[in-house]
Amino acid sequence: MSRLAKFDVVSIDDLETSDIERVFALADGFAAQLERGEQITAAAGLIMATLFYEPSTRTRLSFESSMHRLGGSVISSADMQASSAAKGESLADTVRVVAGYADLIVLRHPHDGAARVAAEYAPCPVLNAGDGSREHPSQTLCDLYILRKKKGRLKGLTVALCGDLKFGRTVHSLIYALARFGTNIVAVPTSGMNVPDYVLERLATERNYSLSTVTMDELKSLAGGLDALYLTPSAPHQMALFTSDGALRQIPAAEPPAALDAFYVTRLQKERMSGKEAAAGEYVRFDARALRTSRTQEAVVMHPLPRLGELAYELDTDPRAVYFEQAAAGVPVRMALIALLMEKAAGASTGPRPIAEAIRFKTEPLPRCSNPNCVTRFEGAYLAPRFTLGRGIDTTVLALKCGFCERELKTEYVGHARSHRYYRFDENLQGYVRQWIEEGSLAVFDSVKQAEEAGYEPYRRGPQREIMNQEEVVGAIESLADQVIADVNDMPAVSIVGVVSHGAMLALRLRDLIGAKTGVLAPCAALDAYKPADALHPIDGAENFSVEDRTIILVDDVINSGWTVQRAMATIWQRGRPAAVKLAVLIDRGHRAVPIRPNYVGKNIPTSRGERVQVRLAAAGAESKSHDRVMIYSIVEPLKEPEAAH
Amino acid sequence: MSAASNVALDAAQLGRSVKRIAMEIAERNGGADNIVLVGIVRRGATLAERIATELRANGRREVPVGTLDISSYRDDGKGLPGDPRLIGRDIPFSLDAKRVVLVDDVLYTGRTVRAALDAISDLGRAESVQLAVLVDRGERELPIRADYVGKNIQAPQGQRVFVRLAEIDGADAVVIGNAR
Repeated sequence: MSRLAKFDVVSIDDLETSDIERVFALADGFAAQLERGEQITAAAGLIMATLFYEPSTRTRLSFESSMHRLGGSVISSADMQASSAAKGESLADTVRVVAGYADLIVLRHPHDGAARVAAEYAPCPVLNAGDGSREHPSQTLCDLYILRKKKGRLKGLTVALCGDLKFGRTVHSLIYALARFGTNIVAVPTSGMNVPDYVLERLATERNYSLSTVTMDELKSLAGGLDALYLTPSAPHQMALFTSDGALRQIPAAEPPAALDAFYVTRLQKERMSGKEAAAGEYVRFDARALRTSRTQEAVVMHPLPRLGELAYELDTDPRAVYFEQAAAGVPVRMALIALLMEKAAGASTGPRPIAEAIRFKTEPLPRCSNPNCVTRFEGAYLAPRFTLGRGIDTTVLALKCGFCERELKTEYVGHARSHRYYRFDENLQGYVRQWIEEGSLAVFDSVKQAEEAGYEPYRRGPQREIMNQEEVVGAIESLADQVIADVNDMPAVSIVGVVSHGAMLALRLRDLIGAKTGVLAPCAALDAYKPADALHPIDGAENFSVEDRTIILVDDVINSGWTVQRAMATIWQRGRPAAVKLAVLIDRGHRAVPIRPNYVGKNIPTSRGERVQVRLAAAGAESKSHDRVMIYSIVEPLKEPEAAH
Repeated sequence: MSAASNVALDAAQLGRSVKRIAMEIAERNGGADNIVLVGIVRRGATLAERIATELRANGRREVPVGTLDISSYRDDGKGLPGDPRLIGRDIPFSLDAKRVVLVDDVLYTGRTVRAALDAISDLGRAESVQLAVLVDRGERELPIRADYVGKNIQAPQGQRVFVRLAEIDGADAVVIGNAR
């Protein structure tokens, strides 16, 4: 039997309150033993592997020291980027291989959710030493530990969190943990760096907890004393080590708060603020005078380090400045965390934490996590996106929570696979969506276009009317061909790309018309941005289709927001660098949401947003064009009862 | 300035153009409440900061400013001009449901803007992306158009348009010429 339980600590929430209390008790014991210079052999024979996909000297040394202090050994790859990852090995494979060499894996990774992936694939326990900007639970344990050690308790304390409370996920973990222990939190964010709504909402729904947010100005009118001040670095912790340029700015308040009159800030004399600094807003600066007020007499000053300048060095000698003790606590706390895994192996098996069942979607492709730093964006196809229902503050979108990075994806269009209807989401649909999830018939779409291409019909459509008849459609296509010929000098350099499905049909018809008029039959391809493996395939019988150095005529039936064109161009650019892209559309509806303008337009048809334009086209080469027509209808919204779903 | 250079916008005109662009942005979007600015490094980013300053002065609103760094050269060491692509971004706020105003100094082929649109769409569901440029010099290779233009300039064949900004170049001017 393994000496360590398969118990992963990916998030601080993986630890029960009793686990955290046990870690503290163990850490107290280890700290005392270390103090006495005792040799500890509890983990003799155990091997810990530290896999650091991004450098973090402090965390790695602290973990490695902890294992050595416990009598165990460490194998390490300080720079995974330069080793197997560079050869393209997946994280899942790496951790399974390394689990053959070690009893425990400590992982630091630049992508959000990476620790969850490692924990799921590694047969040995995984400790998260920071994944992207998400969680850093061992840091949170150290913070809690030193706070409890200095104050004797956590419950009922009042802790002011100052600085960047928006991006510092270390601070989010700490907030959740403090809330769990009944600590009063006063958030003192730097301007624009508030605790995000999703954190507040999670506190409210999971812990029935709300924290007070005050400005620096308001801090002075706060009743009662503070037990600790916790400052965050002026850059997210992940970045802090590598930012040499401590971007400090002063608080714009004319006067520092009276009760905290030592809490003063100096303007940083920078010749020019970069966009980053300007966006980051003013930053707090904390020095010895801040501790001289009656309110802060008992307050300790904490900081996860490294500091970038928000803590004056003169503070270092003040007994209330505990940040170096906080850093030193990293070793006994991490020793305790490892010892906890040993205790859990010896005790009753707790088993893995149940994971909420992921939604089974009916549509391909699966929705993609909207977080550009999510691990699912980087790992191979083995890592299928996984979502559960999110909380979603906005009731006009369906919020899906990524199973790895926990970011919420907002989806506007949902579909019911049985009835093949799509709906614009609103809160009336909430109950139905839950039901569809249960029966495995939920589909989600980026756009109406995607829903229609998947063969879904709007839930209800208003009366249709014809806005272009056969003659008008034929004339408009003819006009498009003439516009292309008049504009393009070098016809042999032209290739035509049509967006599926009507854009592709239109592309072939255009090609034939242009061919008849100029004698040049351009290569032709269909583009489906939702099929990454086969996004661009020839539709003229040719073997290959190249975009490199070609003048691409991009063809779609209708342009509306323009996002489809943006996606289509992104797909083209994945294949090469065209000499130019010209956009041809049969109908321009207006309502553009991106700075894209078609070069050739068959007809401008102003429409309202609730309307849909549907183009029907005869196939290229068809003798009769009697199929050609354009209809307009309205999508009836909002929805009350989607009876069509049953 | 070389002898072949000619000033298309002097400092005062450039300043007025920026002000006007900011006004148009506020007008078209009914204020600046839902606006975020994203400037393309380097002069686009500086212009975005200036537009934000104008919006702040007019509407007393803080408008978040982010940057995209888009390089026109492949980093394959051969130094061949390639298609612009994203090499860095600094957008420390959510773009979800925001109206993003993308800011660049010169709009020319449209390739840089295309790369920027990819980067923005990758970052979330912006409500819309509008494009503001100080100079539109035509000669587009892609179907890109600007929503806000400081000045349209037809540069003679072989000549280039240079935007100079005080923060970077010591003084404000738009110059047409062969050399910077």
